[in-house]
Amino acid sequence: MKRTKRSNGFVRKLRALHRDIGYFCIGMTAVFSISGLAVNHIDDWNPNYQVDLSVKKISINKTQQNSADLDQLILQQLEITKKIKTNFWESESRYKLFLEKDTTVFLNFNQQQATIETVTPRPIIASFNKLHLNEVSQAWVYFSDFFAILLLFLAISALFMVKGKNSVWGIRGGWVVAGIIVPLAFLFI
Amino acid sequence: MKTFAITALLYFFSFASSALENKSFGTGANMDKLVAISTLLSSPNNYLDQEVTVAGTIVSVCSKRGCWMKLASDKKFQTLRIKVKDGDMVFPFNARGEKAFATGKLFPIKLSKAKAIEYFAHLAEEAKEEFDPSSITGEMTIYQLVPTGVTIEYQQS
Repeated sequence: MKRTKRSNGFVRKLRALHRDIGYFCIGMTAVFSISGLAVNHIDDWNPNYQVDLSVKKISINKTQQNSADLDQLILQQLEITKKIKTNFWESESRYKLFLEKDTTVFLNFNQQQATIETVTPRPIIASFNKLHLNEVSQAWVYFSDFFAILLLFLAISALFMVKGKNSVWGIRGGWVVAGIIVPLAFLFI
Repeated sequence: MKTFAITALLYFFSFASSALENKSFGTGANMDKLVAISTLLSSPNNYLDQEVTVAGTIVSVCSKRGCWMKLASDKKFQTLRIKVKDGDMVFPFNARGEKAFATGKLFPIKLSKAKAIEYFAHLAEEAKEEFDPSSITGEMTIYQLVPTGVTIEYQQS
């Protein structure tokens, strides 16, 4: 009888701890899961920046390419009013013009073509990715370790949350086994 | 209250990634060891075992992981690739056009003709640039700087 009372008290404390730690982990879980989805598909999209491209025709001859007014001529033809940061000759026919507000103009004089690229950081998800990939201070690494320990606590304490026929020690334990088997199965696929 | 809290959080996360100031990676660049990229690449063997600092405009950045960037040399058409292991430093994709200083060691990479074509085609694809395989005529040695410290100087705009 005494043992049952003590056991009930332990389970109650564990449930309260599981609940509060669960609440605390909501923010971190959101950061890691959203950025996890974002960086998992890095080959399909840029998770940190939105990249907008537009291609336009230009008409700049060889003499104009060598003139001091080349940059102004390019901006004029493309009807761009942004300030120039700097430029770079990549080869005899390829030229880059770097403009303010994260805009770059790629010019191919052989094809008489300009590609205007504007890069805009994705405001919220870029911050999440930064945290996920440990691109901030070393203190974040320690905090992430602490979060990992909390997740481990949530997983283990979950085993003791429910008693009776729905506990993991009954038929519901199949879910626990399945959760272990699924990741293991990927090692053999 | 709830709306305020959510708005404040969103604002915080939005602002956290948009601050534009000079950025240092690793130890930051050591300005006492400056060597012009053209000097470095004209006699690379003289610099292989020592730490050097190079400076140049960032003309290309790895768009996926920010694991490399190309700095423009003081010599026309020439660039030097600054390469880190994924995650060691993450160079911002929108830092193109800014000036960067990188301190580290120069590493040679010997490539057969086939490997060189493969390598430059991959780089061009990553940088979304054009690549002409016929520009590679034989085996070659390329050089890249593996930095311990990088500093990017942002222009005021």
